Amino acid sequence: MPSSAATPTFSLRSSDRGLEAAVELRGVSKRFYYYDHRTSSLREWFIRRILRHPLSVGRAEFTLRSFDLRVGRGQAVALIGSNGSGKSTALRLIAGIYRPSSGTIWTYGRLTAVIELGAGFHPELTGADNVALYAAVLGLGRRELMARYDEVVDFAQLEGFMDTPLKYYSSGMEARLAFSVAVCLQPDILLLDEVLAVGDQAFRNRCLARLRSYHERGGTLILVSHEVEALRELCTRAVWLEKGVMQMDGDVDEVLAAYQVHDGNRSPGAQ
Amino acid sequence: MSATYPVLRITASDAARPSRLAHVWRSRELLRELIIRNLKVKYQRSLLGFVWTFLNPLMTVGILVLVFSHVVRIPLSDYWAFVLSGYFVWNCILQTLNTGTYIFAEHSRLTRSVAFPSEILVFGAVGSRLLEFLAEMTLILILLIAFHHAAVPASFALFPLTLIIQVLLVIGMALPIATLSVFYYDVQHALPIALTTLFYLSPVFYPAQMVPEAARPFYFLNPLAGLLTLYHEILYAGRMPSLTLLFGMMTASLLVYLIGYAIFSRYADVFPEIV
Repeated sequence: MPSSAATPTFSLRSSDRGLEAAVELRGVSKRFYYYDHRTSSLREWFIRRILRHPLSVGRAEFTLRSFDLRVGRGQAVALIGSNGSGKSTALRLIAGIYRPSSGTIWTYGRLTAVIELGAGFHPELTGADNVALYAAVLGLGRRELMARYDEVVDFAQLEGFMDTPLKYYSSGMEARLAFSVAVCLQPDILLLDEVLAVGDQAFRNRCLARLRSYHERGGTLILVSHEVEALRELCTRAVWLEKGVMQMDGDVDEVLAAYQVHDGNRSPGAQ
Repeated sequence: MSATYPVLRITASDAARPSRLAHVWRSRELLRELIIRNLKVKYQRSLLGFVWTFLNPLMTVGILVLVFSHVVRIPLSDYWAFVLSGYFVWNCILQTLNTGTYIFAEHSRLTRSVAFPSEILVFGAVGSRLLEFLAEMTLILILLIAFHHAAVPASFALFPLTLIIQVLLVIGMALPIATLSVFYYDVQHALPIALTTLFYLSPVFYPAQMVPEAARPFYFLNPLAGLLTLYHEILYAGRMPSLTLLFGMMTASLLVYLIGYAIFSRYADVFPEIV
């Protein structure tokens, strides 16, 4: 590859060693148990207890297999891969939602993870109440929120709707409100899972601009998305996962190109 | 350097983990917001609001009083005051435990996508119900002072202590119920049956003293029997409870809390994967 001379900047543990780590994963695996027995009876549970089988009997599958990742402070990294490749699992592990089956994860700094936009929103509450609730969900106290409240409303462009119950919002308005809270948090590390496709084009552009300025100010960003253009624009590095195993780690353009070739081979009809 | 950033290390084992309570403490702002949300959702669109909350159990009290002072006669003076000092406690516990059966299912999106100690959800339900309970009890204390005691008995001072015992008991019972409900939907069908049984096996409409002497050791294995008896002593009889009862209940409630919390902690890690 002609550009290979320029890429080692982001290969694992080589030249980014100079960068202080913001997130580090070492040998992280995640095995899921499928709780088939949820539909089964209590009787079966008692039998299992008596026979001393663990509660979690079911098919176990790896969604992530000995994953190593070191994200330097201030890096913007894209996690890509087809559905079920383990991207979201990796993000949830870094966020501390799942516990790894083995391996260790370190995070250095205040971390905000937006895995599902607006998780915790309540339709009966007003926009303002939901902002307070969602901010608390994402780890922001009321006093800190007060300082940024106007910024949130301003960014969402929902002045005049803040006393309206959320159930009267359109889905675009709701997503805008949630995203505004998320981007106004200013954490050290921001994880976003498929939440870029929000609102109209104008709002998306402002979101991208916002994320870019967050990154320029030194924020660490890890993105899961299928929006290639947005990833190219925001990230410098990409990590490609397939069936829980890392395929490639390097410059965003190269990894995306390789991924698209793979993706094209897999489903020739697409795109 | 990196020392200025909060460092978090996550491993498969428990060794490196901060205690759950420390985690809960860090999430106290979320807990407060959840309590506020619960109350707002319930009351903001209701004209009579709290009147309904109070009226509903009051109707049951009325029926109990009617039946058990005129049909089946329970020989207690001011029987209405007796039922009043126990039934609202029972009602509060019953409703909180029922909430436990669906609380994690109701918040599955939240549990799946945010790292927070999930017991906060149970604490939030207990907390908002407790605030309603305090409002109810304020009215009841006034009624008892005005029409039953015609004075303020010194034993009323123990009310905060019985409240703490009640909270420990409710949390200790709600956490395992909520945990089991994550794995088995059977719980939400089984619990109402269990609670109906418990209603008759607890001194709600009759005093524990009416239970035959020989059966009492078994009877008081039910911690709610002790709790309700405490309330009867303090609020209805207006006398200091025996130290055996008081310290017995303090110990029992702490035990129930610790055991319930331990059961919950054993399984809480996998909730985000299965709710």
